Amino acid sequence: MIEAQGLTKRYGAKTAVDDISFTVRPGQVTGFLGPNGAGKSTTMRMIVGLDRPSAGTVTLDGRPYAALRSPLTEVGALLDAKAVHTGRSARQHLRAMAATHGIGRKRVDEVIDMTGLQTVAGKRVGGFSLGMGQRLGIAAALLGDPRTLILDEPVNGLDPEGVLWVRNLVRYLAAEGRTVFLSSHLMSEMAQTADHLLVIGRGRILADAPVSQVVAAATSQTVRVRSPQVSTLVELLAPHGAGATVVEPGLVDLTGVTAAEVGEAAASAGVVLHELSPRSGSLEEAYMSLTQEAVEYVTHGTPDAAPGTLTDDARPAGTPDPALVAAGGRHATHDGGTR
Amino acid sequence: MSTATLSPAAVDRGRPGPSSPATRVTFARVLRAERIKLWSLRSTWWTLGLTVVAFVGMVAGMSALVRSLAPEEAAEAAAGGAPLSAEAVYSIAVQPASLAAVVLGVLVITGEYSTGMIRSTFAAVPRRLPALWAKAIVVFAVMLLTAALAVAIGVAVSWLILDGRGLALDLSEGDNLRLLGGSALYLATLALFAFAVGALVRHSAGALATVFGLLLVVENVVAAVPWEPLRWVRPFLPASAGSRVTLPEEWQGMFANEQMYAVDPGLWGSYAILVAWAAVLLAIAAVLVRRRDA
Repeated sequence: MIEAQGLTKRYGAKTAVDDISFTVRPGQVTGFLGPNGAGKSTTMRMIVGLDRPSAGTVTLDGRPYAALRSPLTEVGALLDAKAVHTGRSARQHLRAMAATHGIGRKRVDEVIDMTGLQTVAGKRVGGFSLGMGQRLGIAAALLGDPRTLILDEPVNGLDPEGVLWVRNLVRYLAAEGRTVFLSSHLMSEMAQTADHLLVIGRGRILADAPVSQVVAAATSQTVRVRSPQVSTLVELLAPHGAGATVVEPGLVDLTGVTAAEVGEAAASAGVVLHELSPRSGSLEEAYMSLTQEAVEYVTHGTPDAAPGTLTDDARPAGTPDPALVAAGGRHATHDGGTR
Repeated sequence: MSTATLSPAAVDRGRPGPSSPATRVTFARVLRAERIKLWSLRSTWWTLGLTVVAFVGMVAGMSALVRSLAPEEAAEAAAGGAPLSAEAVYSIAVQPASLAAVVLGVLVITGEYSTGMIRSTFAAVPRRLPALWAKAIVVFAVMLLTAALAVAIGVAVSWLILDGRGLALDLSEGDNLRLLGGSALYLATLALFAFAVGALVRHSAGALATVFGLLLVVENVVAAVPWEPLRWVRPFLPASAGSRVTLPEEWQGMFANEQMYAVDPGLWGSYAILVAWAAVLLAIAAVLVRRRDA
């Protein structure tokens, strides 16, 4: 269980993580999703005590990381595949990490086998591909057989086989009752791996909800209709529960009805249709719409509202989606400290 | 690199529980980890090897010079007015060896910052200071043993060159054992000083430039520039003060020259000044290591 309360990290005038509170529960994979620079890595580094929060606290099973007497057996972290001395071999790196906890060579060999590094374990890490570096980072995270795993972009640089392997591994570890917290900037990856999602943008939590809910919201069906009599059609369909969004004059996106229903209604009323196409929103679109403002703000910010001078005025850009936060965010915020 | 290698059963086979004392982080374990880390890097072998080669090479060269010079010539050839002798070659040999020694001291810590390894180190030892102390101890101990080895080889090589002329070092003389031991101690302490600078600066190039600049430029300039207030600075420069333990008895007299040195802290007092430099810088580094983000 990872619990963050009002966690904030400022670098000078820049606020990387802005007063976030969340709970990562055991027994499920929690995804930490956000665009690059959203504050994912900073948050994870604060969890394991590498960065000191400017404000707020974060605990692991109720204790701050620095208070753990045997940290590697409680928390395994892949924070950065490059957190390894490039001049050392993979096996020696793992042996040195293991030695701090009195973990023996046998376990080192086990994690090397588990991560498929047998053939390169004796080679210097400097010559590793990104994927091999990731596997070594995961091996190091698993050394102490920890109850909590924190993986920052674990699939970065992995081939499809490696991606599948990580997915199976984290799902297995979570099924064993462990707490698994992994970050990604890829929504599609998260949809397949995570049970619960924390979406972060510009240092603020935008959504905290089960992944199924995020996916459902994302993949709602719409029907695009182009017609010279579009308003007649909308009136016809309104009693059936259809909602309409006008895209441009004569073009609407309808929700709550199927394309067949629209076609039949149009035929029976003699409405001419120029276009009738069912559309489903993609996960990536949902993700973009969730984080868009947060990202856009960075890209198009006027000079006086540049990232360096984030003020309260800028908050609407990162205001959480109320529907999604209601599902989990509030829960996390208010229940966080009661355990 | 096959996915088939994931065997879930291996994940938690026979592991002690998370809070088990069997896996507590202890100082002895951190020390062992730092020892593994030091010996598993090539740069360690290079710098230690260079320390020995530079020291022994310089001892051999200077011994050959001592052998080739008549005693009167040796006295003239010496800088600072003291005679060049079998006793003096070690204090000359520590100079090139010290350059390799400080590289090791610096790289042990800056190598972790430049590669990101420090994050793995501090994730495993979240209290951080045990890792810093363990590194300092490992650097000092390994450099002391290596320098002792270099001194032993140097004595043997020098004996081979000088014994035929009856000029070899007299090992029954207590002061000669002091300067031999002092040479090893000076190199180890200077490596520790460099380690402290590395822990403060955190960048290999910056820390190396700082230490080299101090050793090769600042201390030499301060020693050479005839500006009166510098007599208050000269006794307190880390390498100049620390290297006094490597000098033979007959060279010690120059520190009594009040034109150059405002105070004379004595032979071991001067060594203590180098120790104090290392201790103070390490203390500052310790405070910063706990405070800074890794």
